[in-house]
Amino acid sequence: MVRFIHSSDLHLGKRFGNMAEDLRGRLREARHSVIGRLAAVARDNGAQAVLLAGDTFDTETPAPDIRRQALAAMHHHHPLTWIILPGNHDSLQSSELWRALAADRPGNVLLATEAQPIELQPGVTILPAPCTTRRPGRDLTEWMEGAATGEAMRIGLAHGPIQTFSEEAAISDVIAPDRAVRAGLDYLALGDWHGAVAVDARTRYSGTPEPDRFKHDAPGRALMVVIEAKGAQPEVTPLETGLFDWRTLPLPLLAQDDGAAMLPTLLPAGPQRRQSLLRIAASGRASIATRTALAAAVEQAAPEFALLELLTDGLETECEAGDLDLIDRAGALRQAAEILQVESLDGAKTAAEREIARAALVRLFSYAQKAAS
Amino acid sequence: MKISALRLHNVKRFAGRGVAIEGIGDGVNVLCAANEFGKSTSFEALHALFFQPHSGVPKEVRRLQPYSGGNPLVEADIVTAGGQFRLTKQFIGGKRATVTEIASGRLVAQQDEAERFIADLVHGGTAGPAGMLWVRQGITGLEERSRSDEEGDRRVRESLLTSVQGEVEAVTGGRRMAAIMEAASEELGRFATPTLKPKAGGPYAAAAEDLARLLAQEKRLEKDVADLRDALDRRLMATRRLTELDAPEEKASRRAAVVTAEAALQKARAHSDALKAREAETALARDRLAKADRELTAFRDALTRAATLSHELGQAAEQRGALRARRAECQAAIDTASALAKAAEAEQRAARDLLARLDAAMKARQAMEDLLVRRERLTEAETVRQSLEAGEAELARLAMPEDAIDRLQKLDMEIARLRASAEAGLPSVRLDYQPGASAVLADGVPLADGVDRSVPDNLVLTLPGIGTLTLRSNRPAGADAALTKAVAGRQSLLATLGVDDLPAAQQRQAEARDKAGSVASLRLQLRLLAPEGVPALRADVARLEAIAPADIELKGDPDAAREAVAKADLQVDAARNAEREAGPSLSRAQDAEGQAEAAYVRLNGELSGLEALLGPAEARMAREQALAAERASQQIQVDQLDMQLTGLREHAPSVEAIEASLQRVRSIEDGAAREAAALREQLAELNGQIRSRSDDAVEESWRETKDQREAAEARVAAFETEVAVLDRLKAVLQQARSAARDLYLKPVLTELRPLLGMLFDDVSIVFDEKTLLPQSIRRNGQDEDIDRLSGGMREQLSILTRLAFARLLARDGRAAPVILDDALVYSDDDRIERMFDALHRQAREQQIIVFSCRQRAFARLGGHVLHMTDWVPDAAAR
Repeated sequence: MVRFIHSSDLHLGKRFGNMAEDLRGRLREARHSVIGRLAAVARDNGAQAVLLAGDTFDTETPAPDIRRQALAAMHHHHPLTWIILPGNHDSLQSSELWRALAADRPGNVLLATEAQPIELQPGVTILPAPCTTRRPGRDLTEWMEGAATGEAMRIGLAHGPIQTFSEEAAISDVIAPDRAVRAGLDYLALGDWHGAVAVDARTRYSGTPEPDRFKHDAPGRALMVVIEAKGAQPEVTPLETGLFDWRTLPLPLLAQDDGAAMLPTLLPAGPQRRQSLLRIAASGRASIATRTALAAAVEQAAPEFALLELLTDGLETECEAGDLDLIDRAGALRQAAEILQVESLDGAKTAAEREIARAALVRLFSYAQKAAS
Repeated sequence: MKISALRLHNVKRFAGRGVAIEGIGDGVNVLCAANEFGKSTSFEALHALFFQPHSGVPKEVRRLQPYSGGNPLVEADIVTAGGQFRLTKQFIGGKRATVTEIASGRLVAQQDEAERFIADLVHGGTAGPAGMLWVRQGITGLEERSRSDEEGDRRVRESLLTSVQGEVEAVTGGRRMAAIMEAASEELGRFATPTLKPKAGGPYAAAAEDLARLLAQEKRLEKDVADLRDALDRRLMATRRLTELDAPEEKASRRAAVVTAEAALQKARAHSDALKAREAETALARDRLAKADRELTAFRDALTRAATLSHELGQAAEQRGALRARRAECQAAIDTASALAKAAEAEQRAARDLLARLDAAMKARQAMEDLLVRRERLTEAETVRQSLEAGEAELARLAMPEDAIDRLQKLDMEIARLRASAEAGLPSVRLDYQPGASAVLADGVPLADGVDRSVPDNLVLTLPGIGTLTLRSNRPAGADAALTKAVAGRQSLLATLGVDDLPAAQQRQAEARDKAGSVASLRLQLRLLAPEGVPALRADVARLEAIAPADIELKGDPDAAREAVAKADLQVDAARNAEREAGPSLSRAQDAEGQAEAAYVRLNGELSGLEALLGPAEARMAREQALAAERASQQIQVDQLDMQLTGLREHAPSVEAIEASLQRVRSIEDGAAREAAALREQLAELNGQIRSRSDDAVEESWRETKDQREAAEARVAAFETEVAVLDRLKAVLQQARSAARDLYLKPVLTELRPLLGMLFDDVSIVFDEKTLLPQSIRRNGQDEDIDRLSGGMREQLSILTRLAFARLLARDGRAAPVILDDALVYSDDDRIERMFDALHRQAREQQIIVFSCRQRAFARLGGHVLHMTDWVPDAAAR
């Protein structure tokens, strides 16, 4: 029987240059501390090893402190064994990284840098498919089919896309999705995709233990894998490991909906807010007033969150006579508002011009509200 | 409302007096009077009546009071829709205000009630806005005025427009519009310059700078990363290659290849030497063959050539002969032509000589004839000259001074006068004889009967029979001195002239005149004979005599001679031309002959050379046969050697190929060693580079910068959108506001436009929406501020604007009089006329009262003329 944690895509050292200054530090720190959380779930669930299926480091040349601190943290959780596979971000092409890791690694850290069986424990063999370069251009798991391991349990470890989905689009080299069956693997631990995916009963992407983008809309998780014996069905349990929550929350609106009032029901409660990066994706239709109020409500709530943004790309602005009345019932202001409204709906104008007219109308509305008060 | 009469009493200069302006009618009313006639006083009084409360004494009211004091009284009759009223106000003392209905004499209102009545007339009130429209002297209505006046006027205009068009606030957006525009501008101003560029120091500019900085940084880092990756790749390849090179079996195989190649090379070189020796032998034999071949061919060629040449030489000799003959022919032709030319020239000379001699003879004959004529003329001239000289001597003798006769006559008259006066002063005697009495002798002469006879100094009368009677005058001595002097003068003059008396002098003068006539005639004759004088004539004769008597006798026909000359000329030309024509053919013939000669010589030379080479003709055949045999024997030797050489060559190993292959295997060995060394060096360098770059974590920095740059781009884009939105909003607001303003002011502009058209060409007006007065005008496509216009134009605009407002009022059924007090001070007469056209046009629905001191300018302008009359207020009113 073997019990291990399957994880990948730690992206240690990622700097989040597009975030606000103080948030950057926190996000970076969360990536480092995920090592500790992985060790904790391993310990709690009696796992003897953590398999990291690629992209442990965000770049081929992480700063020495990132590298050293990661190794130190892993060493700290001795006797837990860490197996690190080169992924596309930290491929073998970055020979300097792997040379340094090999030089510095403590005894409980194994580097899966060659396509050769590694004995994890008696009767359990790891078959790694390290990424040789950023884009190897071939299926690196092919060798697993011919690898002789005797009676031992066969656990594949690989990084990359299967079929066509990938973190980085337009990559042609893909891992055969039925590699586990073809190579007689008990389990194929895959990395690269940041969301957890079960390809089949024996083939899984673990997803990242600490999310770094909005794309997947899921909390950070690692997989606890238990295989009773060779050929037995693996028992896989997802365990939450993420510190920050990255979510895009849809907010579909009907013309008469009050977006600002709906907002609080959407947002998480209390302390969780500080650990949340949220995007409110408003869609549907809203009047100028609703829209203005929603924007104001988001702006008002934002400081409580690590990040809170309002996306209005999908939101149509419904401009009613009532809205224009709020600007002015007649006269030059009303005239201006009507010019802008017509312009915002004018099919002869470009989309950008319409958008500018619409934004100008919303702005006029808000100025008019201020001027009235 | 209309005003029909104005009366005032005790106002300013009318102290203790009253004046009235009655009969103010519809249309244009003109009160034209000189300065200080009370015109402005009337105007001020009228103004006070309508606008000053009777109870107050502000300075405008105090100004109405005469210096001598008293209470100003002002009265006006008005016509309104409600009837005719008389408004009366007395200021300062006995303050009062009354309104009386004229028809009934009923007192309608007084004091404050009356004030309210008046205020309703001018300011509106429940009936709506109204008012009178004033334009004062020097006030064009467009410059600084007291704020309250300005505000009052503005309110009138505004209320008028509002009643027509709606609230100004409601139309133009008013303060809210201003606040919103202000807010938009302020916000835009924080980000962008007026040209929508990022404003320095603003957040937009900061974002843009940030982006630029990040882009540069990203580019730099990207290059660093690429360099690092490149270094990593290169190191991988270098390591791989080095491993290959250093493998021991590879090294041994490279060595073995070199040794084998060296042995093969040795063997090949020996074979090559043998081959070279045989090749040299063959080359020598070939040389000999070639020489024999050359000799045979040359001999045969020479034979052929000699045959050809002797044939050509024959032809050349023939041609040379022909050409010689032709040259001789040409020479003969030229000689003939030359002889002909010379003969013609001799003939020509003879003809010309004859013609010259004929000419000379003719000229000599002419000269001879001339001489004869001139000699005759000379003789005649000499004769005439003699007569002339005699005449002139005679004339000199007869000549008298011009005035001599006059002087003589005058002296004679003087003598007679003096004698007469002396005679008169003398005593006289008269004797009247008795018949038969004897004659008395006076100084021995019988004394005439009954005749007075003067008595000179003394007179002796002989009285026959009686005695002598002596009479004495006893005059003082020298009493006739003047006479005596005159007589002496005449005597001396006569002596000078050489005549005896006046008649003789006159006789001589006549003679002298005749002589002068004959002398003049002679002179004329002489001038005809010798116009240049006798000596010239004589010289002429001498000249002609000196001419050598030529061959006068030579006779001949000059025309024939001239013809002979022309003919000879033609002949000479013809002969010379013939000679010239022959010239070129001669030179051509000479050239051809020269060439033929040269060809002949060349051919001859070549042939003799060949003959020498070929030797005597009888030995030639044998020589040719010997040469052919020699060539054949050489050919056989060469063929044998060639066969041997071919055998050697076929079995020769290629030294070059073996050498090349040796070089190649050696270079492989050396290259491998050098490459390994270079790779080790490169690896060392790459290791250093990679280590330092890896420690710098360039890729992390690059990714971070990339993220930052994307964020910065989004920020800049957001600012761009923001600026575009605000700019668009501003533009739309401005557009809407100016459209609203135009709409608001449209009624007054509609009224103004035709009036403007009467004065100015192509001028339009923009109104200020605050003051509701003209702000700028547009003409010729350019905007000009009202403030910058001439005074004349400003006052005209001011009046036209008020007329437009008045029309608006009238159209609204609330006609109000327009009152102009010397409002056209800056305008020239032409403009005033056009203004009046405008006024008259206006006056069809409008009462206009014009006060002016420009009597002359206004006299021609028409309108109802007003007069001031004395006025005494009712006793009751006072």
